[in-house]
Amino acid sequence: MKRRDFVTTVGRSVGLTVGARYFDLWPSGRRAVVPSLLIPMDDSQTDHLKAYGLTYKAIQNGLKAEWLLNYRGGSFLIPDLDALRRDAALNGIRTEPVDSAMTAVRGEIEASNMDAVPLEKAPKVAVYAPPNAAPWDDAVTMALQYAGIPFTKIWDPEVMTGSLKDYDWLHLHHEDFTGQYSKFFLIYSGMSWLAEMVQRNSDTAKRLGFQTVPDLKKAVARSIHSYVGSGGFLFAMCTATETIDLALAAHDVDIAATFADGTPLDPDADAKLDWSQAFAFTGGHIETNPLVASFSDIDGHQVNGGARRQPLGAYKLFNFSAKIDPVPTMLVQNHRQVIPDFYGLTTSFNRNRLKPGVTILAEEEGAPWVKYIHGDLGKGTWTFFGGHDPEDPQHQIGDPATDLSLHPHSPGYRLILNNVLFPAAKKKELKT
Amino acid sequence: MSRSINWAAVAALVLLASADPARVARGQAVGPGFELERSGRYADAASVYLTTIRSDPTNIPALLGLERTLFVLSRTSELLPLVQHARTRQPDSPALRSLELRVYAALNEPDSLEAIALRWAVSAPQSEAPYREWGLALADRRMWDEARRAFLVGRRTLGGDGTLALELAELEQRVGNWEASATEWGRAVTRLPDVEANAASQLADAPAAMHDRVARALTAPVASVRARRLASEVLLTWGQPHEAWAAMEPTLATADTEAPTALRRFADLAGALTTPEGHRVRGLALARWADMMPGSTGGRARAEAVRELLDGGDKVAARRVLEAHSDSNGIAQAALIHLLIADNQLDIAEERLSAPATAITADDRATLRLTLARARVGRGELDRAAAALGDDSSVAAIAQRGWIELYRGKLKNAMEAFRLAGPYALDRAAATDRTAMMALLQRIQQESSPDLGAALLTLARGDSVAAIAALRRSAARLPEQGGRLEVLLIAGQVAAQKGGDQELTAIALFDEVVRTGGEGAAPPAAELEWSRLLVRIGRSAEAIPHLEHLILTYPNSAFVPEARRVLERAKGAIPKS
Repeated sequence: MKRRDFVTTVGRSVGLTVGARYFDLWPSGRRAVVPSLLIPMDDSQTDHLKAYGLTYKAIQNGLKAEWLLNYRGGSFLIPDLDALRRDAALNGIRTEPVDSAMTAVRGEIEASNMDAVPLEKAPKVAVYAPPNAAPWDDAVTMALQYAGIPFTKIWDPEVMTGSLKDYDWLHLHHEDFTGQYSKFFLIYSGMSWLAEMVQRNSDTAKRLGFQTVPDLKKAVARSIHSYVGSGGFLFAMCTATETIDLALAAHDVDIAATFADGTPLDPDADAKLDWSQAFAFTGGHIETNPLVASFSDIDGHQVNGGARRQPLGAYKLFNFSAKIDPVPTMLVQNHRQVIPDFYGLTTSFNRNRLKPGVTILAEEEGAPWVKYIHGDLGKGTWTFFGGHDPEDPQHQIGDPATDLSLHPHSPGYRLILNNVLFPAAKKKELKT
Repeated sequence: MSRSINWAAVAALVLLASADPARVARGQAVGPGFELERSGRYADAASVYLTTIRSDPTNIPALLGLERTLFVLSRTSELLPLVQHARTRQPDSPALRSLELRVYAALNEPDSLEAIALRWAVSAPQSEAPYREWGLALADRRMWDEARRAFLVGRRTLGGDGTLALELAELEQRVGNWEASATEWGRAVTRLPDVEANAASQLADAPAAMHDRVARALTAPVASVRARRLASEVLLTWGQPHEAWAAMEPTLATADTEAPTALRRFADLAGALTTPEGHRVRGLALARWADMMPGSTGGRARAEAVRELLDGGDKVAARRVLEAHSDSNGIAQAALIHLLIADNQLDIAEERLSAPATAITADDRATLRLTLARARVGRGELDRAAAALGDDSSVAAIAQRGWIELYRGKLKNAMEAFRLAGPYALDRAAATDRTAMMALLQRIQQESSPDLGAALLTLARGDSVAAIAALRRSAARLPEQGGRLEVLLIAGQVAAQKGGDQELTAIALFDEVVRTGGEGAAPPAAELEWSRLLVRIGRSAEAIPHLEHLILTYPNSAFVPEARRVLERAKGAIPKS
């Protein structure tokens, strides 16, 4: 069942339907009452990122949890079971037993810009990534691994054979959906990893019946678009955000350089792009120079754009009304409101390229770009987060992967994990 | 980078133009186009450049601007008549000739390109430029075979083994033919010594699988001295100091004016290596360089060479250097005493150190006394070790006296000496060792324990297996919560470090400490060491329950953060670092 089939909240008590495996672990004397563990997500938390994994594990085992939006940094409430306490202790996650104090907490939530959202079903997570290891890290994969949230890697063959329907949540690795290998083809000519990437993509395109890699990537982009329209949750970072929209808008236009498909790009490509097919952006202009590793003027920072490159600042999260806008509120839960920016091949999104109706979740104040955006499509939703690695602001090809055990409080990584838990939420009817 | 988008070249042309008023006007005319181009408005930029060309057909900045912008706009064909017209007006301009070749290449007309290049070559019979530009234009279009042929036609026509070698080297590298690239770089440095730094930098990027082939190409029997020196530099960059010196040394057989520079560069590059072999070859290079340098420069280099050779474990070479140069230099004398101590000739070292008329500085003398005392301890000569320290009242000497007292079994005296030495004596590793030993001594109530002292001395002397047995025997005589677990932990750590058969001993010792439990840091420390050992020998799955037990049983232990980290690594949740 897709998480779009949300129903009205009927109760806020936790742990009424407890998974048998965990139920067995309860101390016998405690079965009559269902006490809770609060996982604070403010500065008292000792490992913010693993807290998401613990909450995920609870709901994965059939337990009910609650996300206390805006309460102490977006805390979680899980059943007070020995097994969960043990996991918390092993992972260094701070928890606080709450019994009678919960009444006061709920009172505070009721009276403030806060809300309690039940979390019911652990989403099945897929990460779209090539089978080989690219010479750059992927923030989402690392966050999931560190938090202990299981996921499945899928790639073009799985997408093209309809496997997306088996997953609730899809993350796009740093794919270039224009099929131009992130425009590294000329710059990194001769590198073995690039040769392997080109070979693998070309072979896959041929095997799936496409003449060129750009054609294959456009078809993959359309499948992902359909997946979201049918109720899937899409999360994309870095290049994938911008290029999936370019691939969708260019369904009948050649926007790939000669090196990618053997033909020059259409000189009138800009005019022929059909932005109605895209998720988030409109009116973008293609970067036609094959030697510039930039795709369009959607990205505000243009990290590889020479003189166009903009310096990094800091982005600020919006403060939404938890009771009226629970979805964006979930996506911005954090213990920090202002977060240092970080580069990616696509770092940010120019405001003048956003479609009307796109929800801005974070922006750099005073700058012409935004960082973190969200929107609906059909029965599903998508979220785009610019940049590559929140804890490695200038990640270079070949740099070692970030060790998240050194960044357990990373506010940037929290934003990624908010997205993973968001599909677990049981939606309430809007009060307006 | 493609030369067609070479902004630096454009800027240089604009700057050059500023010397001449007419050229200033040319530069100003294309300035707006340049700005439009930088902001990505290529069609508008092209219009500006075309307007300029109409009034000034040979304006090279404008023509180059058109080359860039029309390429992006897929309108390169419009450029050809303009360039041909300009070239007709200025037939001797290499810039226009090159541009014409690139335009033909961009239009994918290789036959015309060749004809134009050969026509240019006829008009400039001694010049490499026509062949170079012909080949580069093709290489920019990724037409590798055709580009190679163009360069080779040039080499054949002009003669000379190194003709166009640099261009061929870069071409072969772009194609991934590293061996051929190395051969060409060898020819290039033979002809032009100034390109050596570039050659070394380029070849350093060769994939590991190609290293042997590249090295062989540069050290082939026919290779020049410069090519061999290039090989030595590249091998150093790859972290192969032994092979690097093997390539360098034969080039020093006959004196040449470039040898001192080459040796100094070799020594500097080897300085980046921290392996013993890296130190050794640096020492060898410095010793040879010192022989070429006059006076004090040579003396200082020789002393440095000796230190490097000692760090590299080559005592024979170090001694040979010192014996060949009977300097009265204090640095060299100190180096020789270091060498004698390292060579276990302690009596001679002591005699030289005690000689009244040496030029050794007070600091060096103190360091040598400490080194000598440690060496005496290593031979079990505790009284002579104490005597070597003399009346030195430095914290380093006090710390060393603490160890000597410990090995004598006088635990209380050792503890007092360590306290007096404080936490900052000597380097960080030594301070950590002392602190760990103080933690152990705190748990032991007895003022003396000759058994424990003897066991620790055995360990200090490097006999690990005997030390493990001695430590176990000593532990058996201590109360369970009065130091026994801590001593067993040390025995376990030694066994784990020893590896091989001793790993089972280590596991048994850690098991005993963990099962006994109780207060103190030993049980969680033993469980962490146990887990690390299991991870190291590829039994990560067995380490996980131990780490979980540690974290849950000793939640307030200082070892818990590290245990969590090892746990993450054992589970594969964080990358290896």
